[in-house]
Amino acid sequence: MKTVKEISILLGASIIAALAVNYFSPAGIALVGQWDTAKGVITANEKNDIVLNDLEIDDVALAKKLHDSKKFVFVDARSRDDYDQGHIKGAVSLPVGQFDEKIEVFLEQYSPEKAIITYCSGRTCEDSHKLAQLLLEFGYTEINVFIDGFPGWEAEGHPIE
Amino acid sequence: MFLSTAFRDGKQKGIQLNKPIRTFFGNHWIELAARWILGVTFVYASYNKILAPAVFAKIIYGYDLFPAVFINLMAIIVPFLELVAGLALIIGFYPRSAALIVNAMLLVFITALSINLIRGHEFDCGCFSINSSGQKTFAGPLIFRDFLIFALGLHVFFYRNSRKLCIVS
Repeated sequence: MKTVKEISILLGASIIAALAVNYFSPAGIALVGQWDTAKGVITANEKNDIVLNDLEIDDVALAKKLHDSKKFVFVDARSRDDYDQGHIKGAVSLPVGQFDEKIEVFLEQYSPEKAIITYCSGRTCEDSHKLAQLLLEFGYTEINVFIDGFPGWEAEGHPIE
Repeated sequence: MFLSTAFRDGKQKGIQLNKPIRTFFGNHWIELAARWILGVTFVYASYNKILAPAVFAKIIYGYDLFPAVFINLMAIIVPFLELVAGLALIIGFYPRSAALIVNAMLLVFITALSINLIRGHEFDCGCFSINSSGQKTFAGPLIFRDFLIFALGLHVFFYRNSRKLCIVS
């Protein structure tokens, strides 16, 4: 009985503290997330959410059409190693983890008017969204996120290099 | 009569055999060491998860074991359970119950790790650090480590003598 009471107190304190901190913290998340890859990119629905749904391209065929139009720069948000092992043909590497180091060179090569499509490793990966967010902050206006990323592209047999 | 004698003899024999071990485990400094190591481990483990619940949620998703509706709640609550139980062990607030909570969590971790080890599922354990680089985990050593920590929890739980530096035992 004593143990039940003690455990209840410890559990109660944990749950109250957890919910309170989550409510007030800017890094807090929703009580239920989006964990179904069929519905799009998975996300815990963080408050300062970086998943920008209206910028998403969730159709590989559409991405291919935009690729063929040559009007878009495909930007690879994955690590340099992943990029070197294979990437969408013509894509530029800008790993989101090294954004601060790489952005200056990128800015010199691609003006903010350039239309950009970011991608990473598919729907379990948020890096392409993070990269899109960062590029928006750097003044790029026309940005889309290809959510099926490299695996989706490769699976359809579209050109890689 | 015969039974009780046999029982008593057996018990006495047991005490003699285990005396050094009993002295060791009955020592309040040993209990304090076990409690603090356990507490610090859990407080440390909670730190990064509390700072980045979204990343921890994704790690839980990566285990591919838990229903989608519970993933966020787990990501919100489990780190605080680790923090509160860890602090309770360190300051000696209900140490037996805190040890019980910690060991219940360890059993869940061990089960989750074992299932993924058996089915060969690659995942990021997210035990202490969390990073989004998609680090893969070897489950075997982790399960072993969790059992060692679990043993510390058992010691704190079954310890019967008076405890050192304890607020409410």
